[in-house]
Amino acid sequence: MGEPRFSGKVAIVTGGANGIGAATARRFLAEGAQVAVIDREEPDFAAALAPDQNARLLAVAGDCTDADTLAAFHARAEAAFGPVDILFNNVGQSGRERAAPFHESDEAVWRFVLEVSLFTTLRMARLVVPGMRARGRGRIVNMSSDAALVGDAGLADYAAAKMGIVGFTRSLARENAAFGITVNAVAPGAIRTRAHDRLTPAVLDRIKAGTPAGFIAEPEDVAGCVAFLASDDARYITGQTLAIDGGRWML
Amino acid sequence: MSPPLAGSQVVTLPFAGRRILVAGAAKGIGRATVARLVAEGAAVAALDRDAAALADLATALSGAALVTAVADVTDAAAIQAAVAEAASRLGGLDGLVNAAGIDLVAPVDAMAPADWARVMAVNLTGPMTVIQAAWPHLAAAGGATIVNVSSAAGLAPLKHRTAYCASKAGLQMASKALALEAAGFGIRVNVVCPGAVDTDLFRSYLEGAADPEAALAAVKARYALERIASPDEIAAAIVWLSGPDSSFVTGIAMAVDGGRSFH
Repeated sequence: MGEPRFSGKVAIVTGGANGIGAATARRFLAEGAQVAVIDREEPDFAAALAPDQNARLLAVAGDCTDADTLAAFHARAEAAFGPVDILFNNVGQSGRERAAPFHESDEAVWRFVLEVSLFTTLRMARLVVPGMRARGRGRIVNMSSDAALVGDAGLADYAAAKMGIVGFTRSLARENAAFGITVNAVAPGAIRTRAHDRLTPAVLDRIKAGTPAGFIAEPEDVAGCVAFLASDDARYITGQTLAIDGGRWML
Repeated sequence: MSPPLAGSQVVTLPFAGRRILVAGAAKGIGRATVARLVAEGAAVAALDRDAAALADLATALSGAALVTAVADVTDAAAIQAAVAEAASRLGGLDGLVNAAGIDLVAPVDAMAPADWARVMAVNLTGPMTVIQAAWPHLAAAGGATIVNVSSAAGLAPLKHRTAYCASKAGLQMASKALALEAAGFGIRVNVVCPGAVDTDLFRSYLEGAADPEAALAAVKARYALERIASPDEIAAAIVWLSGPDSSFVTGIAMAVDGGRSFH
């Protein structure tokens, strides 16, 4: 099939050390991209990479909620690999361990959740958009969640942040469509990640029962969707929110 | 996914071994989909009512794993026979793409009841007829896919297109209801919603307009990308939804509309 799909492309993945971010970073690497990852942790997959892929990975330790850290990361990525072609704004957290009925919830938790699940996406996008506009091309994929679409009792702040991503995605898509930049969101449902591993068997059974496909998917199932939206095949798709949820949400 | 072994270059085409039926295959989006599928290794059964266009497709793709069948999606008996023969020749079916469709531009007071009925027969009943004929084969395959081609006009309305918009929105909901039922058979059902695409269907719409140039400009202005799509751009989404990378995606209506519906 000729050249790998992302050969010569530079991709940024925030929160790329494990789970969906890591699966997507590995997918980009496997298809030829140079990939810069920022996370508070070391990527769990780096040691297992083939040498040619490891040479195309830049892993930076840092907290995405810090604006200066993000800016420094962006500068390092461009210094190492060149201009960014693809941004996967993946980092986010539901604060599930502090879930509470909204009327009893704590404003400090709202601020944390909005900071990590919404503001990081806005800040990272602002860093890459000027260069993408100047070059007349770019792909941005933002991480929403089917919690935004379906609603998530106990996590109203998280659902609000993730619906905020949907509105941000549509607006950024409109602003930048004429500059060759597409902006889309993915909204995963039940995916086997660390956050999921902490759920009880009873909760997992309830999730499975509410998912028409009848199973919990792997991070790779999301990576395949992000890679598609980042590819040339998706150049006429912009402003969309793609549910990857085994049919849980169908509107 | 394990990293590739150093020095090895094993290339497996993504659709190797998969058998896909495309209805409405001879022109436009269907034709682009057939071309892309065979290029990615699929064996394809191309079904269309237009025998001449189908023969032209077979000539263009000579040497590919392609069988053709002439049938009209509004003729249930013919579809049943054609799908059975296609499945028999391919040895089964792993996927179905419903790309047959017609347009109708008519103010409501000028729309003949027969025109409304014809749009529903082709755009809504037609895909269900093909699905019913293909269903036993898809259910037997394990991990099969159905992709129905709706329209962005089924997400966000267009003036003077009541029948067209209703048929395309109806196809979306039929697909979603079917997705619930199909999941139990390991079948994923999804919908692609194209904006304006450079096809014969679209060109005939422009030719019917009072001022074709102004009509084209008005259409382009609907999309954030300010252009219409090529059939290949829609085929790319259809093929993706028919392939392994969309493994956890079912029941969606994917807008491939250059930024109009913001679905």
